[in-house]
Amino acid sequence: MAKISFPYMGESVVAYKKIGHMLGHEVIEPPKPTQKTVDLGVKHAPEFACFPLKVLLGTYLEEIALGADLLMSSGGHGPCRAGYYGEMHRKILRSLGYEGHLIIFDAPRDHLRDFYQDLKRIKANNSWIYCYHVLKLVYRAIKIMDELEQKVSRLRAYEVKTGSVNRAWEQIQELVNQAFTLPQLEAAQKEGHNLLDSLEMIPVKEERKLRIGIIGEIYVVMENSTNMMMEQKLGELGCEVRRSQYLSDWIDFNLLPHWISHPHEAEIQKMGTKYFDIGIGGHARENMGWIDQFSNWGYDGIVHLLPFGCLPELMSQSIIPQVSKDLNLPIISFALDEQSGLANNLTRLEAFVDLIKAQKFGVKQHILQQKAAG
Amino acid sequence: MSKIYLGVDVGSVSTNLVALDPDYNVVFASYLRTNGQPLESVKTSLRELQETGPGQVAAIGATGSGRQLVGVLVGADIVKNEITAHAAATTHFFPQARTIFEIGGQDSKIIIIKDGIVVDFAMNSVCAAGTGSFLDHQAERLSIPIEQFGDMALAAQRDVRIAGRCTVFAESDMIAKQQFGFSKAEIIKGLCEALVRNYINNLGRGKSLEPPYVFQGGVAANKGIRAAFEKEVGAKVLIPEHYGIMGAIGAAMLAAETVEQTGKPSRFRGFDMLNLDFTPVSIDCEDCSNNCEVIQVQVEGKPIASWGDRCGKWTQKCS
Repeated sequence: MAKISFPYMGESVVAYKKIGHMLGHEVIEPPKPTQKTVDLGVKHAPEFACFPLKVLLGTYLEEIALGADLLMSSGGHGPCRAGYYGEMHRKILRSLGYEGHLIIFDAPRDHLRDFYQDLKRIKANNSWIYCYHVLKLVYRAIKIMDELEQKVSRLRAYEVKTGSVNRAWEQIQELVNQAFTLPQLEAAQKEGHNLLDSLEMIPVKEERKLRIGIIGEIYVVMENSTNMMMEQKLGELGCEVRRSQYLSDWIDFNLLPHWISHPHEAEIQKMGTKYFDIGIGGHARENMGWIDQFSNWGYDGIVHLLPFGCLPELMSQSIIPQVSKDLNLPIISFALDEQSGLANNLTRLEAFVDLIKAQKFGVKQHILQQKAAG
Repeated sequence: MSKIYLGVDVGSVSTNLVALDPDYNVVFASYLRTNGQPLESVKTSLRELQETGPGQVAAIGATGSGRQLVGVLVGADIVKNEITAHAAATTHFFPQARTIFEIGGQDSKIIIIKDGIVVDFAMNSVCAAGTGSFLDHQAERLSIPIEQFGDMALAAQRDVRIAGRCTVFAESDMIAKQQFGFSKAEIIKGLCEALVRNYINNLGRGKSLEPPYVFQGGVAANKGIRAAFEKEVGAKVLIPEHYGIMGAIGAAMLAAETVEQTGKPSRFRGFDMLNLDFTPVSIDCEDCSNNCEVIQVQVEGKPIASWGDRCGKWTQKCS
């Protein structure tokens, strides 16, 4: 049995942890990325590598220091640099003296044999039937987490007590962590909903609600320690939030046969071909599709997150002004990097929300109310 | 005693304080260098105001990159980002304005307005090229007082093209042109034009810039830059009377509107707070895996405000 660990990317931690535990491995709890993680990654990665590569590398090194000897992660196809991530990480780790630590799961349709080999290492001595059972349960857990997290991102905008929703969300993650059978999971799901429903909320009329969609590169969209806690910040500013990326969407699209999962993302990708008729890497096409999707759903604005220098997202950034004009939908881009001074970005974010309020409610800029002063 | 509304704009380079009468006329204004000490500089300017024997403070607003901290210090009724604050002030003085150019010490913005509402904006995010600090630095290099910079640019006889994409390129280009024997005045003019070109290329990208144009921020004092703007957009560029303190004026106006809307008295702490010591403390909370970096402001050891805690635990402890 291995000492297993994995990247920290939002709620995916819960899923990986469950796989590790149920297959009998020792799980090294991945540390949430901090400035220290970033510094470590920056030190050992090429300067021009994408920001997520650096954060992941830092995470891997921290985990190895904690004793992990098997790191598993999901891969990327390219054609942008993300396609090399896995190899790059492996090479850097090797040069630092860590050989054979890293397992990268690519979509099984890309390299079925590799996928099978890697799976066997994780599977260890468990039977295939048991593994199937575990994966099915984890998949269900992810679905439940996503459902609850979407609710959390909606409710945050209206909480009476600052932080009450965040605290409930931490509790929910723990509940799901502790559930190892289907009935336990379903009980956790119910308790999670009850927990959220019991919180005190400011009543807001339907037409006064603000809805913001978050799109962009998957890692910075999903891991809030790398995106200046975008979902929380927008919540504090009184906006409901929905991301373009949730783990279950990724699995439906990349790991499961589409005739079973009927992924929403396939539809989104189709919508995106209007803007990019070939795949240029990352989720550029999906993100453009998501702009259309959010617009169709009547969202009030979009926040676009990209790692500084991310090729696919730079391409979408350059067509966004025109799309924003065509759809009459405010869109703002944030390029994220190791820099930790956020004053400038927060100013832009707040002004963006002011702009949306002014446009939606037709009030003059200077009589805008803010949720809480000071 | 007459009512006044205060606005504080704490930027990276300067700290501005204004007092407005109920008709939004400026009755007091101070402009200080922040010198990395936002709390001290705000206190100094408030003391200055106190000595003039001001009216009763009916509302106070804070803006600028130091707005959170200073908002706590003064007891602000509203803490607003500087983009909204600038737009509020400009649309008051120029209701027809469509495009605002704002260049400050460390940042620059472009704000697009339609029917008095902000419809688009951009703010430099990664590069300080085209801001006041860059000009300051170059003025120093040429040993010209920054106050004379603009007049010198206007005195230039010939055009010199200086690369404006990046301050590093601009600087080496400048030195090259200097060695070719161009005069200081010509180089300064070229620099002003490079700065404006860079500004429009970076921030105006993909936006249609419609007149009337308003130019504000500390750099608006520079006639050379104004001339370069007019050349670039091919139209007259308006400069507000109080171009350097528009953010503070906007904050004061927004505070006045907030107090009026809520009907509650101002939360201004009063001038007595000038004698209190406000100490910012940084705490690494290790109670969960989030490891939040919490910033707390304490008065006499008691926390009065904190930021950065995801769960709200520290925020709730503040009185």
